[in-house]
Amino acid sequence: MSDAPAANRRGAELGLGLLAVIVAAFGYLLVQLAQKPDVPPDLWVIFGAVLALFVAAHLAVRRLAPDANQVLLPIAALLNGLGFVTVARLDSNLGRIQAAWTAVSVLAFVLTLVGVRRIRTLERYRYSFLFLGMVALLLPLAPGIGKTINGARLWVGVGPVNFQPGEAAKVFLVLFFAAYLVDKRELLASGSRRIGRMMLPEPKHLGPLLLAWGVSILIMVRETDLGQAMLIFALCGVMLYVATERAAYTVVTVVLFLTAAGIAYQLFGHVQTRVQTWIDPFKYANDKGYQLVQSLFGFAAGGFAGTGLGLGSPKQIPNVATDFVFSAIGEELGLLGCVAVLVALLLFIGSGYQIAVRSERPFPKLFATGLTTIIGLQSFVIIGGVTRVIPLTGVTLPFISYGGSSLLANWVILALLLRISDDNVQGTLARRSRRTARAP
Amino acid sequence: MNRAIRRVGIGIVALVLILVAQLTYLTIVDANNLKHNPHNVRALLTNVNRPRGDIVTADGTIVAQSRKVSDGTVFKYLRQYPTKDLFAQTVGYQSFVFGGTGVENTYNNALLGRENQLNLNNIPDIFSGKQTTGTVVLSLRADAQRLAQSALGTQRGSVVLLDVKTGAALAMYSNPSFDPNPFVVHNNQFAQAAFTAVQQNPDHPALPRSYRERYPPGSSFKTVTASVALEDAVATPDSTFPVRTQLALPQSTNTLKNFGGESCGGTLVVSFTVSCNTTFGQLGLQLGDQFVPGMAKFGIGQAPPIDLSPGAVTSLGPAAGSFRNSQPQFALAGIGQGAVAVTPLQMALVAEGIANGGVIMQPHVASEIRDANDKLIRRIDPSPWMTATTPQVAQAVTQMMIQVVNSGTGTAAQIPGVTVAGKTGTAQTAPNQAPHAWFVAFAPAEAPRFAVAVIVEHGGNANQEATGGRVAAPIAAQMLKLALGVK
Repeated sequence: MSDAPAANRRGAELGLGLLAVIVAAFGYLLVQLAQKPDVPPDLWVIFGAVLALFVAAHLAVRRLAPDANQVLLPIAALLNGLGFVTVARLDSNLGRIQAAWTAVSVLAFVLTLVGVRRIRTLERYRYSFLFLGMVALLLPLAPGIGKTINGARLWVGVGPVNFQPGEAAKVFLVLFFAAYLVDKRELLASGSRRIGRMMLPEPKHLGPLLLAWGVSILIMVRETDLGQAMLIFALCGVMLYVATERAAYTVVTVVLFLTAAGIAYQLFGHVQTRVQTWIDPFKYANDKGYQLVQSLFGFAAGGFAGTGLGLGSPKQIPNVATDFVFSAIGEELGLLGCVAVLVALLLFIGSGYQIAVRSERPFPKLFATGLTTIIGLQSFVIIGGVTRVIPLTGVTLPFISYGGSSLLANWVILALLLRISDDNVQGTLARRSRRTARAP
Repeated sequence: MNRAIRRVGIGIVALVLILVAQLTYLTIVDANNLKHNPHNVRALLTNVNRPRGDIVTADGTIVAQSRKVSDGTVFKYLRQYPTKDLFAQTVGYQSFVFGGTGVENTYNNALLGRENQLNLNNIPDIFSGKQTTGTVVLSLRADAQRLAQSALGTQRGSVVLLDVKTGAALAMYSNPSFDPNPFVVHNNQFAQAAFTAVQQNPDHPALPRSYRERYPPGSSFKTVTASVALEDAVATPDSTFPVRTQLALPQSTNTLKNFGGESCGGTLVVSFTVSCNTTFGQLGLQLGDQFVPGMAKFGIGQAPPIDLSPGAVTSLGPAAGSFRNSQPQFALAGIGQGAVAVTPLQMALVAEGIANGGVIMQPHVASEIRDANDKLIRRIDPSPWMTATTPQVAQAVTQMMIQVVNSGTGTAAQIPGVTVAGKTGTAQTAPNQAPHAWFVAFAPAEAPRFAVAVIVEHGGNANQEATGGRVAAPIAAQMLKLALGVK
């Protein structure tokens, strides 16, 4: 696949992307038809806008990363399109805002491709990114600009626009971890202290892991954001494991995580609430478990094939467009729709890891792994939360949930993955041409 | 690092598989439990805001319809009952607060158009998301209901008119009734007040007496006693019984007296024609424990499976095998008193069974489901419910019932040019209260088409002077005339 000529790949990308655009347009049509039996007058506007956004992104890739993977962009377009249809169906005002954010995100996608011409350029600024990440995570706590929405202090308000800097922080932190671990992975992997049968490295090398642990706990305590904390922590554990290939780190991560979770459960009411409603949501069906119970009812109402777009009652679930968008998909598109979304996410994640595996240099390899893991873990945390596999924590479903910051971050992640993918092929081609030149 | 990346990838796949498993559990395995969870209002809300089809009588009168409204409530449709109290006890009502009753409840899915999907012509509607509805066509007739209502007038009581061959009800009315319209208004407080007022009314207008109230049937039950006695060969039409004024009851110092203290007896036919209590009390004693299974074949002890919800109540007789210890109960059962308590529907089914050669058809009030374009979706097909007796016994009882109308207690049910078979009943209730007046009948006796049961509670306007022959028989004749199209 990666050895196919660039032109073929871009052709495939265009074809798949057009399919995604058609799916979004038909979805929008169905939603409108469910309300009144006329073709909506703005169907062509929507269709044109979705098409234009995809084509713009596609042309940018053609121009700026011609050898990049051809599957990621169409899948992002599909998920983003489905997300827009679902959000617009739930609330047409939110739909308009989401459409505007999609445009901004595609712009950010193009700018990322323009600005980051070589991924290894980023490696140099690791500590700057660490600093940016920390600032972004802590910004909502700053008095004046920090805002509390729905009981979580995750927001920064500048004028009329509210932004969740935590979404960007994840990307910065992954970048830092990747660069840092590439430096230190030999040290971390060898280990010098023996505890029982496990070899552990010097504590000073465990710095970043402990830092992540501390930041997670801080977020949990001050911003009451369980999902973000869990995510950053798990991300750090996964990257440490991939960098060192030492299972011992997984054990350490899990132990630290459980300790933190145990302490949080003891100390914080909102953590206890999440666990109680996870264990028996129906006991709290009319108060703190209401949202989760309504979500489960939504899936049950959807059944195998769903009620059909626009024909269910997903608005029974409070905050359905953000944290519970997957429940709305479950109700109206059924098990089939849910599995389709999961398959699309898996294809995205699979392509991401494939890019990581094909990278020859350690930094892009680890960076791609981290970026892909954000998408994978975040999807699991929120879908698992709304389906009662794990306690519910509020994170967004990548590309689908309503929310500008999240959408923007996801499109930047996509641009970075495509950049790494393009670098991989460029590197191979460069080596090949050198070899050919050297041949007598 | 690649090995570790692959492992992480496998880990993510495993997590996704867990999600798929849980999604399958929620949407397929546990879906029904979740749908019926008491906290789940989704189904209710969607039902309430779906268009709902009409309920129409066999003669084309709209009994229930939905009108689109925007009255500032969450409800998009208002249910209306143009016939007000005429069908309230059979068609019922559909309320968001009080739930559904009657035809509205039994045929809920049909009215919401859920049965239309079986029809290929509606597939385009399903894809366009257009919501289809179903129309329920009743076998009940508005003219028959109105006649029953006016014949009863201010008297409390019930009229049930059945098609002998199909078990379809043409009329099923009881007095007093109520107007269901206030129950379904979107102002909950108003609806609640109207509902409470009807529930607390001492006349119980919300009680569908025709299928949910039990009365002693009195002598109208002699149709059952005679059938069981003939079938079990305890008697023949020509068997003779002593002429006397009273029958001494075993295990007791009481006696069973004839109506008005008269003296009667003779053959079974004569005893039936003049409704001689001593003869039928004696038959009850002679039948003993055989009497209970004999009654059971007519449906006593089992609720008739009518298409209404809540359904018909079970009619009662003496306990099986209780003859040894309570013999007087069997003498009383022979004349439809004591432990015997039946619904008017049940007595109409008894008449229908005898008219139909011993086979009782399953009763129903709806005949067809149609879609919004008046296309037939399904018919409610006739099916037998009970085999009460043999054609020979049914024929013999028919002959006795013809005598009742020709020359006995039921002459008021005569229809010129039509042979009517019937039986009167004047059932004792509390000591100081007037008896219930009963009449069960069918016609034409040679080739029966319609069966009817009429009860007027506590004699109605005739009070203590009431007998089944005087008060109930004329109403039964009116109903049969209407059904047969006789002027």
